[in-house]
Amino acid sequence: MRPPSPSIPEKEFLFTALKQSLRLDGRQPLEQRQVELNFGPELGWVECAQGKTRVLAHVDAKMVKPPPERPFEGIISIHSEISPMASSEYESGRPSEEEVTITRMLDKVIRRSDTVDKESLCILAGQRVWHLRLTIHCLADSGNMLDCACLAGLVALKHFRRPEVEVIGEEVTVHLPTSRAPLPLSLHHTPYCFTFAFFPDTSIPPVLDPNLLEQRLSGGLISIALNAQRELCVVQKSGGVPLVPDDVLKIVDVAVNRAKELDALVESRLKEDWAGRKIEVI
Amino acid sequence: MSSRIEILNAGGYRSDGRRQYELRTISIDLSPRGSGADGSATLSHGLTQVSVCVFGPREAKMRSQTFHDRANINVEIGIAAFSSSERRKRGRGDKRVLELSHTLKATFEPVIQTSLYPRSQIDIYIQVLQQDGGLLQACVNATTLALINAGIPLYDFVCAVTGGVHSTSPLLDLTLLEENDLPNVTVAVMPRTGKVALVTMETRLHVDRFEEIFRLAGEAGKVIHGEMKRAVKERTQDLVNAMQSVGKAAGTEVVDEY
Amino acid sequence: MIEFTSFRQHPDNFSVKHPEDVDMDMDMDEDEDEDFLQAGSSKITYPGEYLTSSQAFMRGHGTYVDNEDVIASVSGTVERVNKLVTVRAVRTRYNPEVGDLVVGRITEVQPRRWKVEANSRQDAVLMLSSVNLPGGVQRRKLESDELQMRTFFEEGDLLVAEVQAFFSDGTMSLHTRSLSYGKLRNGQLVAVPPILVRRLKSHFISLPCGVDLILGLNGYIWVSKHVKESDREGEEGFDAEAVYSNRNDDIDDSTRMAISRVTNLILVLASHSVPLTDAVLLDAYEWSIEQDAHIKDLLQDEIGEALVTSIISRG
Repeated sequence: MRPPSPSIPEKEFLFTALKQSLRLDGRQPLEQRQVELNFGPELGWVECAQGKTRVLAHVDAKMVKPPPERPFEGIISIHSEISPMASSEYESGRPSEEEVTITRMLDKVIRRSDTVDKESLCILAGQRVWHLRLTIHCLADSGNMLDCACLAGLVALKHFRRPEVEVIGEEVTVHLPTSRAPLPLSLHHTPYCFTFAFFPDTSIPPVLDPNLLEQRLSGGLISIALNAQRELCVVQKSGGVPLVPDDVLKIVDVAVNRAKELDALVESRLKEDWAGRKIEVI
Repeated sequence: MSSRIEILNAGGYRSDGRRQYELRTISIDLSPRGSGADGSATLSHGLTQVSVCVFGPREAKMRSQTFHDRANINVEIGIAAFSSSERRKRGRGDKRVLELSHTLKATFEPVIQTSLYPRSQIDIYIQVLQQDGGLLQACVNATTLALINAGIPLYDFVCAVTGGVHSTSPLLDLTLLEENDLPNVTVAVMPRTGKVALVTMETRLHVDRFEEIFRLAGEAGKVIHGEMKRAVKERTQDLVNAMQSVGKAAGTEVVDEY
Repeated sequence: MIEFTSFRQHPDNFSVKHPEDVDMDMDMDEDEDEDFLQAGSSKITYPGEYLTSSQAFMRGHGTYVDNEDVIASVSGTVERVNKLVTVRAVRTRYNPEVGDLVVGRITEVQPRRWKVEANSRQDAVLMLSSVNLPGGVQRRKLESDELQMRTFFEEGDLLVAEVQAFFSDGTMSLHTRSLSYGKLRNGQLVAVPPILVRRLKSHFISLPCGVDLILGLNGYIWVSKHVKESDREGEEGFDAEAVYSNRNDDIDDSTRMAISRVTNLILVLASHSVPLTDAVLLDAYEWSIEQDAHIKDLLQDEIGEALVTSIISRG
């Protein structure tokens, strides 16, 4: 079902406000909604919220035999699902365009940018590797689900700890979390995704983290994933209203600064959570 | 995985003998395909070859998909199983193919003057015949040409180029070998205004390097534009000449109100 | 995720203003920007090419205005009528105008109307009230007519009609309220690019070889056996049996050959982008008889080229 398009006065109201750099929810054009991270009782269970958009991410690991062409690398698979629960726009069954975009972007941001050191997931070459499953559930969509999903997925990977294993000869021993402290995953870097919406009227400045209405009335989106070390991982402007090249570079600059801020926030939240957890080592 | 072939050798040549900023040979065929398509184009960048047929604007097959104020654009891509060195069948449901068609649709939606054709549909069918890097670039360029060939009004050409960075030296128009090894960017520009219709990048690259290759690819797009423009003009001129050679002489009875 | 609002910068997209409205611009410098249209030569454009300033000229079809520049949006030839600049695309779908004669095919039977595919941007509409009903031309339509619409036209039927009007969304409405319009029989359809069919005094052409042609302005051409004028119109005005009949008349072999020959000639001429007029078709037919070319050989490249060269030299 196609959602009913906003009425002309609604559209006019939004556009005139944006022209004066005012957003309907009171934010600055380049201000993100407050990011909230809640950790579940289990390691690798994260609920991330940006405004009313909420995404749940969960990581689990199991041991599998690696495929013969990559005997030294672990496997990461990402499962994402947008259920009709998130918004009435989504149907179960056939994936919508948006779902394809989110799935592909998650794949690019988390898997293809080599976030996780896959070789560190190898236990016994050609015999045993860790298979990480990242499941992402979109709980509510009020705009910009992509950023929220990427953030949730990444924080889940950072939060997750795998049991320690010991290899003696061909023998593999898995230590229970109660006997030995589980180990964090080794990550190469942590990319964060930022989505900007731009509008058909070029006098309207691009806005960061669009809400549902802004997203629907936008002339296109540009998503930039990058880490705090100023390395871009994904830049994606798939169509939409054409932009002046300098504007694109300006947007990238904004994202660089936001990535540093977000990185600091994520690190402090993770530390807080970790401090609150008592791991008993016998 | 790094290949044993040098991407850029000490003499400044690439694995296929090109210089850093040298583009591959472009060949463009705008002759009709015989399938009754309104416009078609076969374009190759080196060994990457795609063929595009455009139908429409025509009656929409599904009434639910129409818009009351503009035309609906439908893009479908088929990737031939024999197009790459590894035989691989990609179905229509393949996420990569879906993403590619979604990207093309979103790229051309603001470029085509869709508001002239309310309730109609424009179908763009793309067949990928050979892949050797720069697939998105070839699809964008070929689609632009096919749309022009079909007489569908566009605001401008859309010209796409890939670029990559080998350690610190930027390269343009990457082959598959280079694409697998290097961080690469695809940029599509609209040459009249220099605006950017599409940017994609999927690999890790430092922000400063990105800026360099991004600007370079924008410039290269204008070079590609020159080639595309030439092909379009040539084809148009041929058709006009053919029509005028007879039309004028035998047109004594023509009631020409133009 | 991405919902598009299409460009709205040009709300007057389709309004081609009458040259008279432009009088106020007439005192502008005539010489400036004149280079884009010299007499006799036709300038070729491509989308995105700057044509002229919108201060001095009005934009017509195939152009748009951005920042006071008139820019081409299709590739074709620039044409100018006074201060109106248009670009005519060299290949495009049929753009209907009221009064045009078109050949179309029924795609759907709907309540009180048929949908007709006519190579345009949308299917045309043929209202039940716009066809001749059996039992007299000037008759009110009845409920019984609505129930038996398929006895007049059903899916797949070919017909010739005239563009009557446009609906608000640009869909064309057809009518067959003339004795020369209606269902097509006794021949075959050829499709050519619509631009090759020019507006002629008459689009019903009878070739001396016993072949009738209907040149639809939408590029669909009906090639059929010659029917005598009197037979077509019927002695007593209107014969519903004959008009809506689905049976072909007897056609002898020589006529069948002639129809095939004309069809192939049209295809050859169209593939060389030669505009089709009765004179050209007649020339082509004579040439093919003179050369004693076999019908199927006409489609070969060398013969086709020879034909076109000869047509050009004759013209």
